[in-house]
Amino acid sequence: MSSGRIDSPMKIWAHYAGLLVLAAICLMPIWVMISTSLKNEVLIFDGTPVWFFFFPTLENYEYILTRGKFDRYLTNSVIVASLSTFLTLFLGGLCAYALARTEFKGRRFVANATLLVRMVPPAVLAVPAFAMVVTFSLDNDLAVLTFFYTALNLPFAIWLLFGFYKQIPVELEEAAIVDGASPLQVFFRVLLPLMKSGYAVAGIFAFRIAWNEFILALLLTGRKTRTLPVGAAGFITDTGVEWGRIMAMGTLIVIPPLLFTFFAARQIIAGMTAGAVKG
Amino acid sequence: MAGVMLREVTKAYGPVVVIPKLDLTIKEGEFVVIVGPSGCGKSTTLRMIAGLETVSGGSIYIAGKEVTHAAPKARDIAMVFQSYALYPHMNVAGNMSFALRLAGTPKAEVEERVRRAAEMLELIPYLDRKPKDLSGGQRQRVAMGRSIVRDAYCFLFDEPLSNLDAKLRATMRTELAVLHKRLERTMVYVTHDQIEAMTMADRIVIMEKGVIQQVGTPREVYTAPANLFVAGFIGSPSMNFLEGEIADEAGVLRVRGAGFDLPVPGRMKERVSAARNRDVTVGLRPEHFSANDSGGVLAPIQLQVDVAEYIGSSQFLAAVVGQQHVTASVDVGPDAEPLRSGDYYFDADRIYLFDRASGQAL
Repeated sequence: MSSGRIDSPMKIWAHYAGLLVLAAICLMPIWVMISTSLKNEVLIFDGTPVWFFFFPTLENYEYILTRGKFDRYLTNSVIVASLSTFLTLFLGGLCAYALARTEFKGRRFVANATLLVRMVPPAVLAVPAFAMVVTFSLDNDLAVLTFFYTALNLPFAIWLLFGFYKQIPVELEEAAIVDGASPLQVFFRVLLPLMKSGYAVAGIFAFRIAWNEFILALLLTGRKTRTLPVGAAGFITDTGVEWGRIMAMGTLIVIPPLLFTFFAARQIIAGMTAGAVKG
Repeated sequence: MAGVMLREVTKAYGPVVVIPKLDLTIKEGEFVVIVGPSGCGKSTTLRMIAGLETVSGGSIYIAGKEVTHAAPKARDIAMVFQSYALYPHMNVAGNMSFALRLAGTPKAEVEERVRRAAEMLELIPYLDRKPKDLSGGQRQRVAMGRSIVRDAYCFLFDEPLSNLDAKLRATMRTELAVLHKRLERTMVYVTHDQIEAMTMADRIVIMEKGVIQQVGTPREVYTAPANLFVAGFIGSPSMNFLEGEIADEAGVLRVRGAGFDLPVPGRMKERVSAARNRDVTVGLRPEHFSANDSGGVLAPIQLQVDVAEYIGSSQFLAAVVGQQHVTASVDVGPDAEPLRSGDYYFDADRIYLFDRASGQAL
């Protein structure tokens, strides 16, 4: 709602009712996931679905935490997602900075063309990626998956950070240089604090994609290198789908990116208040 | 020699030469203003002194040391930018102390120097604020404070007042002049505003197309402009230029043109007689017109007045002499009626003559 305008109570009610409906649409699948994870097999396959009032059980969680390979999958996922996010931000930041600060013909085009690369869906890359990895016997290696996720996330990160770097006036860097800052000091003490929100946004995207990605992970990982989404899919067996366990796993999978997003989002707010480079 | 020296400094971007060959000596403790229209190379010159722009040829000396290719931090300079370039994520104290902290100055000394500079600039109540919570004038002062704290050998200013409103600009001009007196440091100031140049400078450097047109005190560049460009650039409203020629009337030199016939001032006679029968451009400053004959060496001149603008104690006339447009600023007091066409006078001692072909002053 725009400021300075007083809306009628009806309008405000309609506004919040609309928001409520949207929120319900977004939250419903999550509730289905959480509630299913707390049901036993009988309840899940009951003819009339029970939405709220049932006797919850933790047997699904108990199973995946004690008898599955959850800890291994989690470790793999954390390694791959955080490493690829770090690499994406590091390399993407360098590229974006170079793009934003050097003048050359077709610079805008290059910046936007990187985004085109992002439009290729991972599924298209799956087959050639698989062929390459198998040819060079690199399957079952977390580094390979990290490499692919970094490659997948770089274009978007570059494009996004390019926009953020463009907003920082070059005079700020020059002022720091005149103040006696070395290139590293210019970066860490002047640019990075102002780029916090940019890196946070790019980080959230990169982490989320690396964390959730399924197809490449399925093709490129083996028994020891499986990540969480692939692990969850393991409950789809020849004898049936173990929905309760899949949902319990799903619920657990959601938690780390949620924490990461909350942490990163704080940087966005911090960046916004620090912003306003020019008055 | 101490001060700032530029020796045959050139700057080119690929094949495009923006500064052909520039020689300039700025004495220690001097306040020099480089002035010129946008794109004349004044900012580039300043940035070369700062070390933010590479030098294509020649050499630069600061405090007697050659710094042509030295990094900015090795030059002992402080710079104030047009956009202020305050670090948005640091408060005022943080902005002002940044350079000292980088240099590893002891904390107590940093605090003391920041406090002293803040006191001088009346910034004490704002030390904890972020730049976005300051007004334009305050930001400007923080930018200045940031350089004062450094206690650098030379201060560089890149159009620091151009983002302020007219009133604040006038105040800051005075503050800067006072600051220069107190700090007694070498200051190089770049602006496109000739009023700033005239009011603050010990010496003015007027540039056009990368070439220095004249270097002199404000009085020198106003009273004895070296060429048409300087004459037209310095002074407000700017000088009128009329086409005319030199005539010799029984030993008395006169300059004539459509609608005017003025005696050549005695001080110019020797130089002008050599220019006899050559086309000249006559320069008449608007403020040297007057409405009545108050004696002295006033020469009558007829003005066809199109518009008379009331600006208080004087009136700006948009008028025609012969067929050439002129502006006159006539001091008639605040109660005078709007001026009309008719006979006016010009202070004949203050005529400027330029060779029309070369544009140089005669």
